[in-house]
Amino acid sequence: MDISDGEFRPICGGVPWVLAFCPGASGSTCPRPSEALLAELRGLGASLAILRPDGGTLLRAGDSPQPLRPAPALWARHGAPPDRATLVVLDGEGQARLCRTLDASADVEWMLLCALRDAARASAPARGVGRRELLVWALAAGVAAAVLDACAGSPRAPEQRGVQTASSDPGLIDVALVINGERRLLRIESRVTLLDALRENLGLTGTKKGCDMGQCGACTVLVDGKRIDSCLALAVQHEGREITTIEGLARGEDLHPMQAAFLEQDAFQCGYCTPGQILSAVALLAEHKGQPLDDDAIREGMSGNLCRCGAYPNIVAAVRGAVGRS
Amino acid sequence: MRLIQFQRASGIDDALRAGSAPDTAFLAGGTSLVDLMKLEVLHPARVVDVGRLALTRIDSEGGGLRIGALATNTDVAQNGEVKKKLPALSEALLSGASPQLRNAATVGGNLLQRTRCAYYRDLATACNKRDPGAGCDALQGWTRMHAILGTSDRCIAAHPSDMCVALAALDATVRVRGAAGERDIPFAELHLLPGEHPEREFALAPGELILSVFVPATPQAARSRYLKVRDRASYAFALASCAAALHVEGGRIRAAGLALGGVGTKPWRVPEAEAALVGQAPSAEAFGRAAEIALRGARTRPDNAFKVELARRTAVRALRRAAEAT
Repeated sequence: MDISDGEFRPICGGVPWVLAFCPGASGSTCPRPSEALLAELRGLGASLAILRPDGGTLLRAGDSPQPLRPAPALWARHGAPPDRATLVVLDGEGQARLCRTLDASADVEWMLLCALRDAARASAPARGVGRRELLVWALAAGVAAAVLDACAGSPRAPEQRGVQTASSDPGLIDVALVINGERRLLRIESRVTLLDALRENLGLTGTKKGCDMGQCGACTVLVDGKRIDSCLALAVQHEGREITTIEGLARGEDLHPMQAAFLEQDAFQCGYCTPGQILSAVALLAEHKGQPLDDDAIREGMSGNLCRCGAYPNIVAAVRGAVGRS
Repeated sequence: MRLIQFQRASGIDDALRAGSAPDTAFLAGGTSLVDLMKLEVLHPARVVDVGRLALTRIDSEGGGLRIGALATNTDVAQNGEVKKKLPALSEALLSGASPQLRNAATVGGNLLQRTRCAYYRDLATACNKRDPGAGCDALQGWTRMHAILGTSDRCIAAHPSDMCVALAALDATVRVRGAAGERDIPFAELHLLPGEHPEREFALAPGELILSVFVPATPQAARSRYLKVRDRASYAFALASCAAALHVEGGRIRAAGLALGGVGTKPWRVPEAEAALVGQAPSAEAFGRAAEIALRGARTRPDNAFKVELARRTAVRALRRAAEAT
């Protein structure tokens, strides 16, 4: 058994591992993993070890967190430096597939809190997916990527540095986005679109990528209440602005009236364009301030959202039905 | 998309300073630039975000309206003064793109909107505009969306903007600022014909920034109309369009503005066609004659020969609507 005696070492046996070496943390400061992450680990069938100089915590699918003894040999094997946090992903055969050492200034406690939260979010759509090793590996790598992304945005960075001071890597900038009322910190390449930041960096995959060139509207989000195509904006352009995605419409279990109207009218077939349709419709009604809209005005107002299934009649009916209900 | 160095301009002077570096592009709404950067048709090394500069106002000024370069298409189209004094401008903007794009796109960006020629946008094809001297695959290609006026044997790309057609007919002036100071460019001089150098598109010096557009509030502008004919009812580029402005008094046309879209390599205004209307009674004959003059010199290809008749009829109908406007 990998932790029963002696030094901890991961035994993979087909299960991928994420090793987080956190030299600055100690048992008292190391954050506890969120329930969400534990659920994700169960869903992924992957294991995560948070390793500190004085021990660590093992998170495995289906188990409660277990304490680990110090494992200096493991630090040495993966070349984890004593002054900087390092993340390693092992595939199902124990091969290190990804190794990333983080910035020295990274605040480990905050970083892990962020990482756990974002990892859970990033992999949320993966729930219920099969467990074939390749797939599991890909998902585990996704978790690791999310961990890295989250770690990259250190808590003090954005306000202090701002976007104008290029970091040592000319492509990377710190961006603070306000998504569905929550402030999110990212360190991304400046060329990343708002759409990709939402989907790939924040795990908010409700916003869809259709044409990726401003011709279909699947990526519609609201920025300060106005609808835009998120594929044709850089994330950094919208720093600090209020961004609303489909994930931000419902209040808990209570659907937004437009979501309810789409359900009532069966206003979709495959559903891929639906998040964009719904956000566009929410904005359309706001633009008309509750005034009645005839069907022609709805069609024109919704013309920026294409539906390849051709669910237009029901979409128009849903929008018509939602007027005055929002 | 290639990596970029991103900088947010803190003010106009800051933008001009940053914009003076070679291989630098100004970024406003992003709907055109981000699209073309993703396709790698445009690949500036540096991008200066001017989107937060205080250039969004629409003000009355000396017998007209001054529209800030960063007013969005939606801002301008919905502005009460614009609707009242320059209805063709509002109509043109509302006929273009989708609500999402109009919320992001700005006046300054729209002035510099690049062609939608499919060959320009496709790196696998030859294009003199994108790659000077490479040749033009459109000449032997599918040309339904291409220009019939102002073409050369190097380029037949149509100018895509609706707004620019209205601004041409309304005799607008574009104010820019650069290293050499501020200057006003008559609208007809802003866009260049392709000629031998299709890659030269604008009469702007490197690093010059558009600040605003001035549109005189003439009697004909107050009764101006924009008519657009396209392959679908909304959210499509023009096959042919026309902005028409008529000042009719005592049964005679006192002043006229006329410009065509979808058919020219630039917004197509023909002063001789306008002159032919002045002094005439508003009639189908007078409108037909003006339209004939506007289309003089059209050079068609098999896919777009229909545009001569289509544009002629579009112009006649737009003029009739302008004459009927009250």
